[in-house]
Amino acid sequence: MTEQKSAAVDTAEVKRMLDKHKAKMKMSLSLCAHCSLCAESCFLFNARNKDPKYMPSYKFINSIGKIYKKKGKVDKAMLEEISVNAWKRCVLCTRCYCPFGIDIPDMIALARSICRSQGVFPQYDE
Amino acid sequence: MVKGKRKPLEEIRAALAPYNKVLVTGCGGCVSVCLAGGQKEVNLLMDDLKMLFKQANTPKHLKGYTVERQCNRQFLAELDELAPQAECLVSMACGAGVQYLAERFPNMPVFPAINTIAIGVDREIGIYEEKCRACGECVLAYTGGICPVTRCAKCLFNGPCGGTNKGMCEISNDIPCAWYDIYNRLKDQKRLGDILKIQTPMEWRNQTQRTVIQEGYEKRYAGR
Repeated sequence: MTEQKSAAVDTAEVKRMLDKHKAKMKMSLSLCAHCSLCAESCFLFNARNKDPKYMPSYKFINSIGKIYKKKGKVDKAMLEEISVNAWKRCVLCTRCYCPFGIDIPDMIALARSICRSQGVFPQYDE
Repeated sequence: MVKGKRKPLEEIRAALAPYNKVLVTGCGGCVSVCLAGGQKEVNLLMDDLKMLFKQANTPKHLKGYTVERQCNRQFLAELDELAPQAECLVSMACGAGVQYLAERFPNMPVFPAINTIAIGVDREIGIYEEKCRACGECVLAYTGGICPVTRCAKCLFNGPCGGTNKGMCEISNDIPCAWYDIYNRLKDQKRLGDILKIQTPMEWRNQTQRTVIQEGYEKRYAGR
């Protein structure tokens, strides 16, 4: 799934990836009580003056949550926007803690996989 | 971060010769940053291999997939469905990632496509410099933040050898003498006393596979 992709998004493929993890994703998104406890366990949140955009809950809701809400009908621009939350604001250290047991890194990793499948991923030579 | 470099194409081609279905796996961690084994490099390697096999009239079915980190079990699980569909796996991760991948799919041949070079720093985009050999006995505190294990050709711990030559190493005039630099830095910091104490030599031969259990986690992993 890392083949070169055209500018258009293969929404059917995105939907297929979403459906594969639908149950876990749906539960995770509905379980989040916005308690912000995950924030304290995120070193990036603490290192960025507690900027709410670095809260793990914000990152997963505004990455995989967005794709889920759109039922996979996303365009390249949206995936690029999502990639900021999925990559630049998260290093996937897997240390975030959720009292409800939401596997936040798994959700963000899924958002990354969907982005990757459509050719959106970090360019380290730019 | 870990730095790597892609193996020569011919070496990878030769390893894959007996197989028809190949899954090339990239790693979104360190090797992505050093432009050796991320998604972009997976695409490039697949293009190169496809052309090579086509030219040799032995086309193969190549598929590529990049996971976030091959040194993490959670992210490797993403390959559980895809990997068994192939006859062999190519890993573009560092040596740790290759071994973790091989451990997860013990019945499948796994071939590395990267030579793991060093733990290093990014000088510029595409230029990476070794800084650490993970010796497990860090001495940077008394060497002014310059690593004699990495920088000195003889890994000396107690000053330079007789081959130091006007600030350069005897093995090449292009290589600065680590101990010359250590001395000057400590002198500038007025800390020359730090290198007067004799350091015991490293017992390299006693090194076995190391596992790190951080403080506070001993009870949880007792018996491992």
